[in-house]
Amino acid sequence: MSTENVILEISHLEKNFGSHVVLKDINFQVHTGDVVSIIGASGSGKSTMLRCINLLETPTGGSILYHGEDITNPRVDAPAYRAKVGMVFQNFNLFNNMTVLENCMAGQIKVAKKSKAEAKEKALQFLQKVGMSAYINAKPRQLSGGQKQRVAIARALAMEPEVLLFDEPTSALDPQMVGEVLEVMTALAKEGLTMIVVTHEMAFARDISSHVIFMADGLIKEEGSPKQIFGEPKEAETKEFLSRFRNV
Amino acid sequence: MISNMNFWERILYILQKYGTSYLKGAGTTLLIALVSTFIGCIIGFLVGIVQTIPVDKKKDSPVKRILLAVVNAVLRVYIEVFRGTPMIVQAVFIYYGMSQVFNVQLSMWQSAFLVVSINTGAYMAESVRGGIISVDPGQMEGAKAIGMTHVQAMMNVILPQAFRNILPQIGNNLIINIKDTSVLSVISIVDLFFVHKSVSGALYTYFESATIVMVIYLTMTLITSKLLRLWENKMDGDENYELVDVMDIGTQLGKKKARV
Repeated sequence: MSTENVILEISHLEKNFGSHVVLKDINFQVHTGDVVSIIGASGSGKSTMLRCINLLETPTGGSILYHGEDITNPRVDAPAYRAKVGMVFQNFNLFNNMTVLENCMAGQIKVAKKSKAEAKEKALQFLQKVGMSAYINAKPRQLSGGQKQRVAIARALAMEPEVLLFDEPTSALDPQMVGEVLEVMTALAKEGLTMIVVTHEMAFARDISSHVIFMADGLIKEEGSPKQIFGEPKEAETKEFLSRFRNV
Repeated sequence: MISNMNFWERILYILQKYGTSYLKGAGTTLLIALVSTFIGCIIGFLVGIVQTIPVDKKKDSPVKRILLAVVNAVLRVYIEVFRGTPMIVQAVFIYYGMSQVFNVQLSMWQSAFLVVSINTGAYMAESVRGGIISVDPGQMEGAKAIGMTHVQAMMNVILPQAFRNILPQIGNNLIINIKDTSVLSVISIVDLFFVHKSVSGALYTYFESATIVMVIYLTMTLITSKLLRLWENKMDGDENYELVDVMDIGTQLGKKKARV
């Protein structure tokens, strides 16, 4: 890993809600093309960390450098930054007042200031990629969970982000729908999209990601290649956590 | 003569003699109710939007925070005063008060529109605030995540949904206004109730005139609620949707073959 193509550099990141400390001292880097999986038990701070990276939560300490610029600085234009670092949520968060197509066009038109025709073409292109182009006239409430999540991924991709954050993208889905979303994510990873994925899907973390981070109690307990983390974990906590997923 | 008639004959007699007056009165009632509900909604939306502007202690300047706090305090007073006093008193207070205290001579029409609008606005402000809060917070996060500012997210995502949520409340207010404009007769607005008072005063036919007025009010409110229900259904859109032929999209994109 060279230091030239570092997109994100997180140093001494801290977050507390009042007296409740969620993140203690988080340090890691993300390079172009990395697929970083973040695993760990519920309540270990994984999602909070991801939300801090997208500034949906304001960190209470430390820094997040995006191409060398500290985005935790209050003067940073947060919307402009978020347009380049997309996010896919556990609960999809598709705009309920818009159709599938409008969902994928809104950001392009309002934020990226693209023309309608251009936005539509791009939206269709990404909807096709996630296999949802037939549903452009549907409203979110008419879709299944897996379909919604695939549209949400297309919506994020339509902004052509440099990094895409996934916050437990399959946790709210029925088992048979998990597959269709993971398939899309796997394809994106193979195309070289930089991704940070908070997940409970150990098979994805092991087979698809380039780097795995194990978190517990608001700290990174262990990180390394999937081979290393899943093959020969060093920390007792990592072993303990992974033993629950033996069968993957 | 009128004392020799039975109930139905009296009603017919009143209608023949004063029918157009009743209709004009009803027109006035409807005009004030519609215009004031519309203006009241705009006031309500503006107040509700201001009240839900998020304050970030870390990022926002103290000037912005103090200004917002002052504006919010003023808005709270406005809402509490106009929700907490009867409209009939407000009408008198504004019609006579504006000229005596501020030396602004409002016509009774101006007073009428003003009173009903700001009264509706006070109620709507709370409905709008509730409507905005009731939209899933995930919608705002989804909007922010693709780079929208607070204003863009409000305009494109939150307010359209909040508007749909509070449409029944808007309907409620319109119906209340159709009935409650009757209190404006206190400042001599010739609405439906004023016509009723005049007619029954001239002919001593309180029950018959009240029957006519009841029917007219009920007709107006029933039609209004039916129209509002249709509007709600239209906003919800079709229950079904058409699947689009993937091949068509392929050609739209200028590709020969489309693959799903």
